[in-house]
Amino acid sequence: MNIILQNIVSGLLVGGVYGLAALGLSLAFGVLKVLNIAHGELIMFGGYIAFFAFSAIGVDPFLSILIVFPVLVIFGLVLHGTLFTHIVRFEEEDRIKNSLLIGFGLTLILQTIAIQLFSADERSILTAYSSAGFELGGIRFPLIRLGALLLAIVSVVLLEIFLNRTWAGRALRATSENWQTAALNGINVRQTYFIAFGLAAGLAGLTGVLLATGFSVAPSIGLQWTLKALIVVVLAGLGSIRGALFGGLLLGVAEALSAYAFGSEYREIIGLIMFVIVLSVRPQGLFGGDHA
Amino acid sequence: MLKINQLEVAYGDIQVVWGIDLEVPPQSTVALLGPNGAGKTSSLLAMMSLLPIKAGAVQFKGEDISTKKTHEIVESGLVLVPEWRGTFATMTVLENLEIAAYTSKARPLQKQTLKEVFEIFPRLEERKMQKARTLSGGERQMLAIGRALMLQPELLVLDEPSLGLAPLIVDNIFDVIAAIKNRGVSILIVEQNVQLTLESTDYAYIIETGRIVQQGPSAELLKDDRVVEAYLSL
Amino acid sequence: MPKLTPRMIISLLIALALLLLPLITDDDNILTLLLLTFLMAGLASSWNILGGYTGQVNLGHAAFFGIGSLITRQMWLGGWPFALSMASGCVVAGLAAAVIGLPAFRLKGTYFAIGTLAMAEALRITIGNILPTVTNLPTEVIRNYELAPRYYLMLTAVLLIVAITIYLNNSKLGLGMMAVREDEDAARAVGVNVLRVKMIAFVMSAFLAGMIGGAYAFYFVSYYPNFTFGPLFSFDAITVLYVGGVGTVVGPLIGSVFFVILRDMLVKNLQGVHQLVFGLLFIVVVLVLPGGLVEAWDRIKQYVRINQSPTKNQHRETKAQTYPGENLH
Repeated sequence: MNIILQNIVSGLLVGGVYGLAALGLSLAFGVLKVLNIAHGELIMFGGYIAFFAFSAIGVDPFLSILIVFPVLVIFGLVLHGTLFTHIVRFEEEDRIKNSLLIGFGLTLILQTIAIQLFSADERSILTAYSSAGFELGGIRFPLIRLGALLLAIVSVVLLEIFLNRTWAGRALRATSENWQTAALNGINVRQTYFIAFGLAAGLAGLTGVLLATGFSVAPSIGLQWTLKALIVVVLAGLGSIRGALFGGLLLGVAEALSAYAFGSEYREIIGLIMFVIVLSVRPQGLFGGDHA
Repeated sequence: MLKINQLEVAYGDIQVVWGIDLEVPPQSTVALLGPNGAGKTSSLLAMMSLLPIKAGAVQFKGEDISTKKTHEIVESGLVLVPEWRGTFATMTVLENLEIAAYTSKARPLQKQTLKEVFEIFPRLEERKMQKARTLSGGERQMLAIGRALMLQPELLVLDEPSLGLAPLIVDNIFDVIAAIKNRGVSILIVEQNVQLTLESTDYAYIIETGRIVQQGPSAELLKDDRVVEAYLSL
Repeated sequence: MPKLTPRMIISLLIALALLLLPLITDDDNILTLLLLTFLMAGLASSWNILGGYTGQVNLGHAAFFGIGSLITRQMWLGGWPFALSMASGCVVAGLAAAVIGLPAFRLKGTYFAIGTLAMAEALRITIGNILPTVTNLPTEVIRNYELAPRYYLMLTAVLLIVAITIYLNNSKLGLGMMAVREDEDAARAVGVNVLRVKMIAFVMSAFLAGMIGGAYAFYFVSYYPNFTFGPLFSFDAITVLYVGGVGTVVGPLIGSVFFVILRDMLVKNLQGVHQLVFGLLFIVVVLVLPGGLVEAWDRIKQYVRINQSPTKNQHRETKAQTYPGENLH
């Protein structure tokens, strides 16, 4: 029983990071109707920046967020300005298809750059408190992963406040529902797209920091994490911010339990299976459906 | 206030508007009437830069707006209530109205305008915490007009405000339009409901298959035999 | 009897040259390079049938390549005659598509793409778990290993796929596919059985990918069984195809030649940089030149023609995407 509980807890702790990964993707997809397949690569870069900030200057990873977030936001703005902004002139269906293809090309480019810059080795941030944790009722709570979950929850709360209480945030919501109505509302849609994409990249960077700290990064993890984010987005349903977090938690727990039941080699499969099932049976997601 | 000059609009190779001239003087109410598919909505969308302008010019308050972006046009005081109503279904009535005061001109006046809008549309105040998608057709239209008012329009353009609404509600809406007119807002109404619109406006244009076929003071058109025969006989 | 155009003559000459090459030269490097080109071309061409002609973006193409190579390899090394093994590989790959197709095509557009990606990944992981050890060719085979038969097998497979693509270009089925690509609803309205067309394209594409997989199993000496299920094979095929010219017969061929040459050139200098170049080219194609190198070539010809002939009336495509699938280039 204890083992199962431990697995559930581990799954929840990981799930926070999954949710965060999904948040960025969901934002970009919801507002711009653009599917950035290179989202995982952005996460990867965020992780590497955190890693090098730590190993070169000794910045604590949780503090390096202050560096990684703005850097990734700027990176996202540049990417959008050079690439994705050209796709938004297409109709929605073509838009998604072309963004898929462009994201494709982007993964090849970013991966190669990463290998050239960072080498293909796996990197992990090991701080003084990396293995610290505490026990509660026989279940172990590693500090770093707990911190990651906390950070994910805080991000969700902040994002919700941003989307519901600020002019820019509401403009994002409006644009994601209907860009023409938003334009007629006086909203600068082009600018909103930039903000959404930059924010999405920033969130990816955040995810990367947590990844490098609690787990590891390597140039090849891009696709795996894009898929994870995609799975959570599909599970949660587009447009639901909280849903993304819950979807991430759900995925984390599902993975942990299936690894326990069938062996750790099958950890990844459960997500993919759930993904395909939800896609076929309830495409609007388990928690979503709020999106028009 | 608004001057449309030889406007041509095309969807790719398919041209729908073949050079129309239209004017809305300040402090006046003008109608653009015509059957389905005549090019009314296309003209409006092109005017607001939501559709490309193939040829021709659009001037608002003396300025050429044909090259401006939609949000800039709205910022200058030209506001459109589109054919699809343009409300945000996932937001509440209140949120819809609050976000509607988006432009820099409208934002500082948000609270004041909101009060006024609730005075004009008490029903909206009753339902202010409801999600917009739970509103009835008529309430949706009221919300759409209320949102437009939040933007402090100098010229309010309404695309088929009576579409799909019961006659009682339509009367209601036209009363509201009269009230708006009285506040000094110029109005351009695009409609299929010819009778009511002619009664509520100063001047009217009739458009058919992308061309203006007739125009004149509304009072005269009401009596014009051709108009009566074509549009007013049931 | 179709007219013998200069294009056809050149194509036949090239095919002939490729067929005779192993008889002329002993250079294993050239043969290997060409073989890898054929591999790319085969993967890209088979994907082209579903992706280029029918317009359905399948990101899990490697799954069928993998199934073909897996079945072929396992059966062949298990004692079955190679021909039977390879045939089985193709058939199982095609069957897999038939089985996945019906539920998969309920997903629209992008969801189909990411759904197929997920399915292929799931398959790759599962195979990796079931067969974690490397598969090696037995020693007698390695001792007697000759490149020429591998070369011919891959070449034949590719020529077959090219022939099928040419057939599609001029057949009613192909027309149906292109109609589905352009506008599904319109196609349905004129009587095209959209689901049937998609399924046929899917199964064909999978079958042929399986065939290339079988040829690969014959060629490659040692690899992890789930290697052939890797997304790299899907992605390279798609990149190559788009850069060459999606939806055309010759696009995948040009693209793969370009790809292999580039990779060979760049490997000496910088590892993996060919991927970066191709990534950039890919983006350029998507944004600016949807017809890839084929379209670039057409535009150059048009430009030359405009400047030579007095008439300047060239009808330019105004749509954002052009898929020239009509002419035999």
